[in-house]
Amino acid sequence: MGILTDASLNQRNHLGRNFLKHNRKICALFYLAGAVWFCCLGHSQFNHATYLSENALSPGLVYSEIKVESARIAQNYLDELNREREVYRSGIPYNWIMAKMQQIGLEVYTHNFTLHYPLGSGREFHGENIYGILRAPRIGSTEGIVFSAPYRPPESVHPDITASVPLLLAFAEFTRRKNYWAKDLIFLVTDREQLGMHAWLEAYYKGDLEDASALDAGNLKGRAGALQAALNLEIQDFDAEYLNVKIEGLNGQLPNLDMFNLIQRIAARELPVREPCGYKQTSPRKRAKNKNAVLENVKAMLSMLLSQANGVPTGNHGLFHRYRVEALTLEAVKKPKSDYQSRGAAVLPLLKVIEGVSRSLNNLLERFHQSYFFYILVSNDRFVSIGDFIPCLLLMAGPLFIKAFFLWLGLNVEDPEMEKCDEDEKQAESSQTELKPIVKKELDLQYSKVLRIFLIAHLIGFLASVMPENRGLNEVFATLGLSSNQFITGLAVVFSIVALLAPHIVELNYDGVELLHIVTLLELASVLVVVGLLNFALGFLLSIVIAPAAILVDRNHNASIKCLNRFYVILLHPLIVSYGVVLILTLNAFPELGLLAVAQRAIGATMDALTYSVVDSIIYGNWVYNAVTIAFLSNWMMLWRVVCYTKTEEGRPKLKTS
Amino acid sequence: MDFKCATAFYILFWTAVITSANHNEEFHEELYVKPLPNGQINTFFQFTTRWKLEAGQNLDHTRLMPRTIAEILNIFDVKELHISLTQGLWRYETWGYPVVDSSPGAEMWAWFNGNLTRAQVDSQWKKLTSTLSGVLCASLNFIDMTNTVEPKYGFRPQFGTSKTNSEANGHIRYATLPREIVCTENLTPWKKLLPCNSRIGFSSLLTSGHVHNTFYHSLAVHLRTLCDDEIKENCIIELRETANIVYDQKLLGGSDFSLRKMFGQGLNGACSLADTSIIYVDVTNDRYTLTPEPKEVITSTRGGVTTLFAVYNVKEESNDKLFNIAWVAKERKNSVPIISPPPLVAHRYILNHGQERGKVVTEITNSHWGPLNVVVQENIPWYVPVYLHTLTATVNKERITPKLVHYIPGEQRERPYHLEVALTVPAKSVVRLSIDFDFIFLKWLEYPPDANHGHYLGSAVISTVLPNTKNYTGIPVDGYLFAHSFNASRPGYFLQIRTESLILTLPTPDFSMPYNVICLACTVVALAFGPIHSVATKKIVIESRETSHSILSKLKRKLFGKKTKEEDVAEEKEVAEEKTEDAGTDLEKESEC
Repeated sequence: MGILTDASLNQRNHLGRNFLKHNRKICALFYLAGAVWFCCLGHSQFNHATYLSENALSPGLVYSEIKVESARIAQNYLDELNREREVYRSGIPYNWIMAKMQQIGLEVYTHNFTLHYPLGSGREFHGENIYGILRAPRIGSTEGIVFSAPYRPPESVHPDITASVPLLLAFAEFTRRKNYWAKDLIFLVTDREQLGMHAWLEAYYKGDLEDASALDAGNLKGRAGALQAALNLEIQDFDAEYLNVKIEGLNGQLPNLDMFNLIQRIAARELPVREPCGYKQTSPRKRAKNKNAVLENVKAMLSMLLSQANGVPTGNHGLFHRYRVEALTLEAVKKPKSDYQSRGAAVLPLLKVIEGVSRSLNNLLERFHQSYFFYILVSNDRFVSIGDFIPCLLLMAGPLFIKAFFLWLGLNVEDPEMEKCDEDEKQAESSQTELKPIVKKELDLQYSKVLRIFLIAHLIGFLASVMPENRGLNEVFATLGLSSNQFITGLAVVFSIVALLAPHIVELNYDGVELLHIVTLLELASVLVVVGLLNFALGFLLSIVIAPAAILVDRNHNASIKCLNRFYVILLHPLIVSYGVVLILTLNAFPELGLLAVAQRAIGATMDALTYSVVDSIIYGNWVYNAVTIAFLSNWMMLWRVVCYTKTEEGRPKLKTS
Repeated sequence: MDFKCATAFYILFWTAVITSANHNEEFHEELYVKPLPNGQINTFFQFTTRWKLEAGQNLDHTRLMPRTIAEILNIFDVKELHISLTQGLWRYETWGYPVVDSSPGAEMWAWFNGNLTRAQVDSQWKKLTSTLSGVLCASLNFIDMTNTVEPKYGFRPQFGTSKTNSEANGHIRYATLPREIVCTENLTPWKKLLPCNSRIGFSSLLTSGHVHNTFYHSLAVHLRTLCDDEIKENCIIELRETANIVYDQKLLGGSDFSLRKMFGQGLNGACSLADTSIIYVDVTNDRYTLTPEPKEVITSTRGGVTTLFAVYNVKEESNDKLFNIAWVAKERKNSVPIISPPPLVAHRYILNHGQERGKVVTEITNSHWGPLNVVVQENIPWYVPVYLHTLTATVNKERITPKLVHYIPGEQRERPYHLEVALTVPAKSVVRLSIDFDFIFLKWLEYPPDANHGHYLGSAVISTVLPNTKNYTGIPVDGYLFAHSFNASRPGYFLQIRTESLILTLPTPDFSMPYNVICLACTVVALAFGPIHSVATKKIVIESRETSHSILSKLKRKLFGKKTKEEDVAEEKEVAEEKTEDAGTDLEKESEC
């Protein structure tokens, strides 16, 4: 009964013929259905209101115990730290932080790590994290919660978040005076942005018993059992305008929706109305009114997908997710201009939010396992679950499978003259009821040649994936005086040229190209679906761009359309796609610049992005670079081979006449 | 009223003294208070009952010794028994060593009479745990052969001479229940074992509201029988009930503290049945002024370490008001103390990434100037299958070979993995002992039914003999009172420390899956039945005649229903001649061709 083996569906009968004739329309229909489905999700009929699934969290059930006194302590700490920062321009004031932690009564430890930079001449970077553990009275150090704050020295290029550490310490001071903690609390100050956090987690979960790779994370002297959740603080100033919750983690992983809801609930309770809190929150002053809700929702969903797709965490929280520790970042964005009166007005509400979250987490009786791990936020209180959004991806990647099937079906379609002959035969045999084997033309599918192209393409893809890591190659380029940026770009260009030429090594006939096309489509579709399951955002956005290839590319077009096809496929080259993305981002970032200037700037930015993605893949385990090179670059090469086929290359084989 | 009470009291008191002389029974209550260097306070209660049994006396007539305990000795052939119920973890680095060590949750081990066979020991052990479960209201009845091990090197018997000790080999059973939560329901039966119950004496300080609000508290029962080698009937039965509590000054509020602040009330006198009722206060550091001032300060030099104890004999204090001791800090500086860690500390943790395999690492730190020989007893339940070949001991990433490895592989659902490793920890170094394990799926009923933190691994026990007594407060094996540890210098000091217990999140199936699977399976069967049936019963014959028909004309035909004959002839038809076995084959169509 399988559709592929069903003899009633072949190129000769009515259904098959219609399918073949309208294949592009069918594919387009699927594609559009996917797009429409996604847009529908923006409507409140198709998404759901968020709710707390885990009863143990019961947010806001306890009275807030943190008092103005703690806010004052935070303010004092901030003043002290600002004085320290004048002395330590490029490093962390370790002594000050450690002394404070010790005074509060925490167990204080430091953690050293070394990064052997994987590119270039292999420079070394050192860093040191500081953390203090509050041992919970109600438990024997079997479980823990992490509160972390990245420390940025004054010379850092990132926004100033000095206030995070004082807030963290003030909260630690508060917790030390309470006896209801049932999970050890770790207060962690990380060095060197995400690298410090990554190193700390590596040390926590891997120790130093295994051989270190690029990052020598060492081991930790103090631990607190199984980590349950983490809250990362990025407080720009105690005079905050609004709170922004960052959730996207490494490789597009998200924290449990309960964790996000928890923050939302508690923030709604504790924060004053003029200080909103939310995912991708923007300044409340900029809010325009009376906008189309569905459009806004779809925009919000797309913007979440965009920030998820590159697999880069938006904050230090993103590195926890792979260890199944639910984590997010709370970012307090400071007011553009602050007056003296409102100085420090946000400290107490912030502390109350942190207290509320910590006490809810303290109540947890089991690991986060309820609610959703895969979701798209439509707004702060509405979401779409995986069951609702995965059909979009399937509808978009589906046409590739369908197209492959139609191509397979069309492989043995006959010429009209042949059909006439057939008809005579038919009439002669009409009385017979037996299944008659269809007269086939001689097909030359060139399996081995197609396999060869397939292997060559993937070998090149694999090389593109591993070459940048190669120590020897890096050394050579470093001695030539090239920066790692130039090295990576050079490699990318070389691979692009190879990708353009390599598939043409193997000669293919008409049928061979068809087979290659089928193989390409099948691989592409599977890869898109698999990538979509691991990181929906990436899979979905790639499908939007790539799926039209299935609909457009066809052998029977005339020359001009073929040319367009080729142009389109060139546009799909991973390097060009990434350039396009960077270009759009740059255009958005610098609307005042001219197009040419932006285009130039984007080239530099693409080079940087390429280098970062390589580094991310080596150090953090972000697989976007590897997926793009191994799967998509190889696939693009095969697709390129398909569109480059011209009839002149090798004529269509003569049909055998009966 | 007062007079009556007093008379009654005196009558009681004197009868008690007289009878105690007759029965050769003694009872001592001791309280040891030690302000810890990091601002926490350790209070250690010990209630010792000693009963000299002579020929002709039997265990049926008890006086100070609780009857339940005597019966246990009588029925279960127990020579030595230790039970502890602990909440929290003893922090060796900052607190030094406790007088009596215990692991988080419930821990229990017992030595049985040397003349029992193996099977008898097992059965007595099971019965013993079930009985004690009732006595202490703890879940000790969950101890069975799946979580019991037989320590070989790490534990030593504390009864009898070397002869009986060698006989005792193989008659020990040890188990922990790391998940056990200690609460007031354990404290009350524990107090009921005391002669004065909780009404008077030191035990009146142990009120559940205050004891359970502390940083660490551990209730324990230690029982041993010491018998004469020649005359077997001459025995001493010794029952020690200990409560080890750590208070946090910050939680008490302020740097000064007192008995009343810690326990909610002062001491209402000594237990009249007690021979001695003494409070010892560690005043070595001299950070506090004591009120009232102690009448006596004892200097104890043990293993080269001198400790000063202020002594309060509560029996001598007047009974007309509640007795209270206050500690007033001499200096009110917000300084951070520098704490020198004890010679040997240990930690245990799990290293893993993902849900496939992991590593249990036991980290033993020796900060002593000389090497220390230790025996590590790993406690690995059956649901954590370990691989012995992955057992590695490393010092600074260099492998060292253990001196001895005693390993009894576990069996799923039958017995735990028993691993004892003896090794030398070099001076001033850290040894990491690691062993790999697999995550396994359990049977669906073996997952806890309610919300659970995960599956627990009990703490490892590390035994050693320390050459000095830095931070050591243990009572020597030949003594039974806390006072016996004064000036008790020995060639070595036997020490057992315990690591933290661990939580492991085993891969847990989604238990709503069966429901989903049933729904899905039903749908699939329902959907698949029709086509499979038709494929199995029909024979498909295809004839096709090619014509070109646009969708539009087809639609027209569909809409208007009637077909012209020409159209009919031209129409391509699929003829499915159904040669079905079943009767209703009225679907048959005739081919036009």
